[in-house]
Amino acid sequence: MRRYTLNISDREFVVDVQEIDADNFEVVVGGETYQVSLSNDENLSGAVITPGLAPSATASAAAQAHKMAAPRPAAPAAAASAPAARKPAGGGKGAQTAPMPGVVIEVNVKAGDVVTRGQQVAVLDAMKMHNVIGAAQAGTVAEVYVDAGQSVDHGTPLLKFKEE
Amino acid sequence: MIDQETIGLLMKGVNAVSWQSLVMIGVSFVLFYLAIAKDYEPLLLLPIGAGCLLANLPLSPLVADDGMLQSLYNMGVGNEMFPLLIFIGIGALTDFGPLLENPKFVLLGAAGQFGIFLTLLLALLLGFTQNEAASIGIIGAIDGPTSIYVSGILAPHMLGPITVAAYSYMSLVPIILPPVIRFLTTKEERLIRMPYSSRKISRRTRIIFPIVVIAMVGTLVPFATPLIGMLMLGNLMKESGVVERLTKASSNEIANAVTLFLGLAIGSTMVGEDFLKSSTLFILILGLLAFALDGCAGVIFAKILNWISGGKVNPIIGAAGISAFPMAARVCQRVAQEEDFENFLLMHAMGANAAGQVASVVAGGVLLALMGAGG
Repeated sequence: MRRYTLNISDREFVVDVQEIDADNFEVVVGGETYQVSLSNDENLSGAVITPGLAPSATASAAAQAHKMAAPRPAAPAAAASAPAARKPAGGGKGAQTAPMPGVVIEVNVKAGDVVTRGQQVAVLDAMKMHNVIGAAQAGTVAEVYVDAGQSVDHGTPLLKFKEE
Repeated sequence: MIDQETIGLLMKGVNAVSWQSLVMIGVSFVLFYLAIAKDYEPLLLLPIGAGCLLANLPLSPLVADDGMLQSLYNMGVGNEMFPLLIFIGIGALTDFGPLLENPKFVLLGAAGQFGIFLTLLLALLLGFTQNEAASIGIIGAIDGPTSIYVSGILAPHMLGPITVAAYSYMSLVPIILPPVIRFLTTKEERLIRMPYSSRKISRRTRIIFPIVVIAMVGTLVPFATPLIGMLMLGNLMKESGVVERLTKASSNEIANAVTLFLGLAIGSTMVGEDFLKSSTLFILILGLLAFALDGCAGVIFAKILNWISGGKVNPIIGAAGISAFPMAARVCQRVAQEEDFENFLLMHAMGANAAGQVASVVAGGVLLALMGAGG
């Protein structure tokens, strides 16, 4: 198995690729397993990467996640509100962020899970101590932004709750 | 030809068994039990138990003049080298970043050493000599190498019980600190949140810090120079990042080998006539008291800081001002999280804990200076 750690828009992704046979792979991204078959393999070295290339679903999720550091209730964000929105939100509705820098050891929930407040959602290793991260609110997990093995900084979004 | 003399020669070992050595062999079994079944600092208590067993077997050649255990003692315990080598490894493992982010917590580290001096006074009242009392007090630093270093200079005859106390209490940190914290704080105080303050410490600061500490502490408390010098040497190697091989060797291979040698040599000092005295019991009790008092002093001082700062310091982190890095800080985090799962004061506790590590070394130096050691 190969483990790729990719940095996309400042977000780190850990991708595990298991080769089943020459053209079929099992890929694990963010706890989700995908069966991937390779239909074409071209060497594009020297080719110019153009913006026309459609970003993959994961990459756009990453870009989105990056912006989701703070919840923005109104879709068209006013320019004036931008500085305020940069502050990482601690709990409340929307994203739950890492309380301190460390490495995510375990992620215990996935999108769609219903959690109670305080339920263990992840384990963060900080200063070689395993810290249980409890859900900041009761609700449904909309999205999980981190994977086991990923290092996070203070304020890095860990997951997002569905707004109900 | 089997005559009386031959039998006597063959049975020499059995005949030399004394009740003291039997009791001490029993003590070594207790140490094995604590290390293996209870997982109390097994890295130290197991070799200490082995040293104790081997030294108390009748006519043990290991503790004869050129015996291995005696040689190990002369090589590194009698001259204080082993604890100092361990300190390089501790320095290489200690992250002073959280302390540099919150320099005011250095006060908590200082407060966490009060128990040492209170216990010293108590031991004097109980009739121990000044040097012995100081060696007992230093158990309160909950720092094995410092305890070995100080008592090795001041009261070598008490090295065995003091080391056993210092290391076994270190593993009692998670058991003793939480009740001390809960007893001295209110629920409201324990609920005070201390958000992480992300102040980035530059590499340059991290490198300058150990050098400045060596120069400052070394000048102010010359007796602490060996300990602080080795601690900060390890830290300088870690933070500079240019001698990764040395850093790794100090914190792994060298520390491991020295731990084995140190444990065996300390264990070999635990021979019946010296260990089986009422004073050993007093040492164990007073050491425990010193430890609890250190925790109390730290928490009370943190309460004062909290009061001054207008409610911004959770007194729990005061308990991390004792040494025992990083276990004390982890215990503080656990106590805080039991009250409020969203309270992460680990980094603050680590700051206080790193300060405690330095402060206990300084306290050791101050004790040596007070007792006029070496002079």
